[in-house]
Amino acid sequence: MTENTALALEDLHKSFGATAIIRGVSLDIRAGSCHAIIGPNGAGKSTLFHLITGRLKLDRGRIRLAGHDITGLSPHRVFRHGLARSFQVTSLFPRLSVFENLRVAAMWQARCGHAYWRSVAGYPGLHGRVLDMLENLHLTPRRNVPAAALAYAEQRTLEIGLALIGGAHTILLDEPTAGMSRAETERAVALLRRLAGGRTLVLIEHDLSVVFDLADTISVLAEGQVIASGSPQTVRGDAAVRAAYLGTAAEDLA
Amino acid sequence: MEGLLLVLLNGLVYGLLLFMLSSGLTLIVGMMGVLNFAHASFYMLGAYFAYTISVGLGFWPALIIAPLLVGGLGALVERYGLRAVHRHGKLAELLFTVGLAFVIGEIVPLIWGRPAVPYRVPAVLDFPAFALGGINYQAYRLFMMGVSVAIFAGLYAALARTRLGLVIRAALTHPEMVGMLGHNVPRVFTLVFGAGCALAGLAGVIGGNVFTTSPGMAEALGAIVFAVVIMGGLGSIPGALLASLAIGFIQTASVTLDTPLGVLLGRLGMAVDPHGALAEITIARAAPAVPYLLLVLVLVVHPRGLMGARAD
Amino acid sequence: MADQAAPQTALLAGVPGRSRAWMIWLAATAALALVAPHLLASGFGISLLNRMAIAIVFALSFNMLLGQGGMLDFGHAVFFGLGGFATMHLLKLADAGIFLPVPLLPLAGALGGLVSAVPAGWVATRREGTSFAMVTLGIAELAVAFVVMLPQWFGGEEGVSGDRSAEPALFGFDFGAALQIYYVIAAWALLAAVLMWAITRTPLGRLTNAVRDNPLRVDFLGYDPARIRFLCFALAGLFAGVAGGMQALNDEIVTVSNIGSAASGAVLLMTYIGGVGTFWGPVLGAIVVTLLQMALGTLTDAWQLYSGLLFVFMVLWAPGGLSGIILSHAPLLRAGLGHRLLARYLAVVPAALLTLAGLIGLAEMAYRLQAVRSGGAPGRLFGFAVMPTDPVAWVAPTLLLLGGLLALRSLAPRARAAWQEAHTLLARGTPR
Repeated sequence: MTENTALALEDLHKSFGATAIIRGVSLDIRAGSCHAIIGPNGAGKSTLFHLITGRLKLDRGRIRLAGHDITGLSPHRVFRHGLARSFQVTSLFPRLSVFENLRVAAMWQARCGHAYWRSVAGYPGLHGRVLDMLENLHLTPRRNVPAAALAYAEQRTLEIGLALIGGAHTILLDEPTAGMSRAETERAVALLRRLAGGRTLVLIEHDLSVVFDLADTISVLAEGQVIASGSPQTVRGDAAVRAAYLGTAAEDLA
Repeated sequence: MEGLLLVLLNGLVYGLLLFMLSSGLTLIVGMMGVLNFAHASFYMLGAYFAYTISVGLGFWPALIIAPLLVGGLGALVERYGLRAVHRHGKLAELLFTVGLAFVIGEIVPLIWGRPAVPYRVPAVLDFPAFALGGINYQAYRLFMMGVSVAIFAGLYAALARTRLGLVIRAALTHPEMVGMLGHNVPRVFTLVFGAGCALAGLAGVIGGNVFTTSPGMAEALGAIVFAVVIMGGLGSIPGALLASLAIGFIQTASVTLDTPLGVLLGRLGMAVDPHGALAEITIARAAPAVPYLLLVLVLVVHPRGLMGARAD
Repeated sequence: MADQAAPQTALLAGVPGRSRAWMIWLAATAALALVAPHLLASGFGISLLNRMAIAIVFALSFNMLLGQGGMLDFGHAVFFGLGGFATMHLLKLADAGIFLPVPLLPLAGALGGLVSAVPAGWVATRREGTSFAMVTLGIAELAVAFVVMLPQWFGGEEGVSGDRSAEPALFGFDFGAALQIYYVIAAWALLAAVLMWAITRTPLGRLTNAVRDNPLRVDFLGYDPARIRFLCFALAGLFAGVAGGMQALNDEIVTVSNIGSAASGAVLLMTYIGGVGTFWGPVLGAIVVTLLQMALGTLTDAWQLYSGLLFVFMVLWAPGGLSGIILSHAPLLRAGLGHRLLARYLAVVPAALLTLAGLIGLAEMAYRLQAVRSGGAPGRLFGFAVMPTDPVAWVAPTLLLLGGLLALRSLAPRARAAWQEAHTLLARGTPR
């Protein structure tokens, strides 16, 4: 682990019953990079995210976030160390307005705490921060609409917004463009590029065009292990990767 | 010694009745994820139906007909009530059953009156099976135990070993998949709910004449049944049996203990003001609180209950 | 989902409070509270107002949990009752000559509610959804058992009573008179309602809504959902305690029944009938249910049954409660789409009345049958002399009920379709 490692995974293990899902994953994710994790279905990508964010308990291994040991912390404590995430299956606050969704996501950063004696409108910067994000997400005209009433692509955009607005320095995105059309995907990629701003992005993605568009490092996960890691060029050329995963999709890469 | 044995036997009978009652709810919770607040109301209906039927036809036809009637009523409730609120979520389902319990609680005295009805143990089984310490033990209570044990064995076998049990369990976790395999999932749910209610009705038929059949019987047992189901772990039949027996023994034993709490605490080395409030509470008076105290303790120590699989 | 969700969610989102409209609302309510007892100018009227005020605070505190936080508390009356006992014990101290200003005693209720809600919440708020509800049921039974066990503190069957007017007068008021205690209770109701409303606009208030909608996501945004539930629970207990304190001052007696399941059930009924989706729904529910209770309670023995049936009806067909019905129609009326609904709605009314008449007929007949069996007089029903022991007398209400239900079966879906259609038009922005 070096000085500018944002997220260090050291020999992570996780089994469900007798089935080992994550079998010794070690990764150093460089601060400020966009690190994509790809791999076939069932490789353990989402499980890996659940382990990092504290949703699932590790069997073995260590996780360091910017030098702090976050192993075994609950999700909200992990967040407080500066790590946010988005979900593969959209996970919003359906009855709250788009504005309120984003404001709730920005509260911890704005030092709102659990205050019940002070109006939420009175926190300096909070309101403006939400308005900026609305603008960036192109959701300003929809700000008063309940999240449940948004169109699918809008919900996916808001999902990304919730992960980005909280001020975390490292952001885990679980298939941010899942289910989007080509045009919507391009817009989402542009959004991520624009809002990343020096932060570390870790990305699970099936859409390889998105991966090669955004990522500067790619790790390939297969059967719970990292079988290759490196620049898009190296991964593209790696024979093991082709064999294990890219076999059918090889023409996409060429 | 014989006194202790009697307490144990009474605890066993009470515990097994609790199990009979809670097994139906456990079935519903485990299969459908619905906490049916009106479950004890179906128990009450079972007892009242059995009373009315036994007046005309006798106990044995009532033993068969009353649970079937209650089960049919339960199936109707599922089909025309629960299914309608299902899309509004679990809380709406719970609220619906709360309202149902309330309405049944008002309708029963409307039909059968406020005072308890004279629903009696059948004469064939109303003889002392044996005597313990000079107290006769009624044969009907042995019959109760037999039925409870048979239900446990039957349910356990049906769910673990039969094809129907497999379909039911699969319908819970993967309704679409089971639907695609050609099984009618909504009908499975209606059947499960009806069966659970029929079990409650059966408990009413069998328990209503040993205890009293009155409009207050649902409320008296309702909360205890929930305590059992949650303590046992939502949806676990063996867990429900364990919790039922635990509550049955502890509550029966504590009712018969007349030692003031103060004396007990004093024996444990705690200083208690001999004239204070604590000193005057006898264990017997604390007995009604026991199931809930146990419930809270279990939940604090082991949030999923004794044998729980479901975490919700 | 789309066609179902559009009107539903618009209703749930409520009105965004951008303007200063709340100040006008507050001033109007305060003015109304000020003049109301003079308009009703009778002992009965003032006692009705007091009951409403107490019910409003209790229902609002309950809705902090159910509506704002998605927590169904089966034992909310525990905090109401223990707040009442705390207030009553202070009132007794005041009776004994210790100086304690009577108007401030509901503060003791607040403390009593808070102190009892903290341990209860510590256990219950670790869980969510139906498990939470079941744990509160256990806690409620436990609390009742303890209160019964400790007659030294809670007065056993008779409860604890005191005299609010016994102490030396404060600035010339001794609070014995109905009007004086009304103003104390109204002031507390207003204060508590404003505070509870203000809490919805704080970070905790918004986080509570978020936890209701999606606790898992809150966990990934830096907040522990269990802690938010706990804080909300403690505050709701506090305000329930205030309501209990108000009730203690009003009735001058607190008994075990104030903490029991019937009291918890009553607050659920009021809140749900008023509507949990808005802040003001429970206020409406408290007013309507208290009025109904007063009106029907004297007219019929079947009041409990009717309120239960109303509750089940609401859960099945109007889950937004009265406020939900209002909110889903207000925009239609404002857009001038009311005429599209009127005819279809009016068609339902006779069918609904038939059903209702049949239902009431059957229920009242049954009550009268019970009365006759226990040696009473059958009395009159809808002006007719009825003999419930005669099977023929049951035919008419049964026919009314069946006919009404049949008519509803065909008419209600049409009314619903008209409503849906109007909302589609509204969403498309087609005027008139």
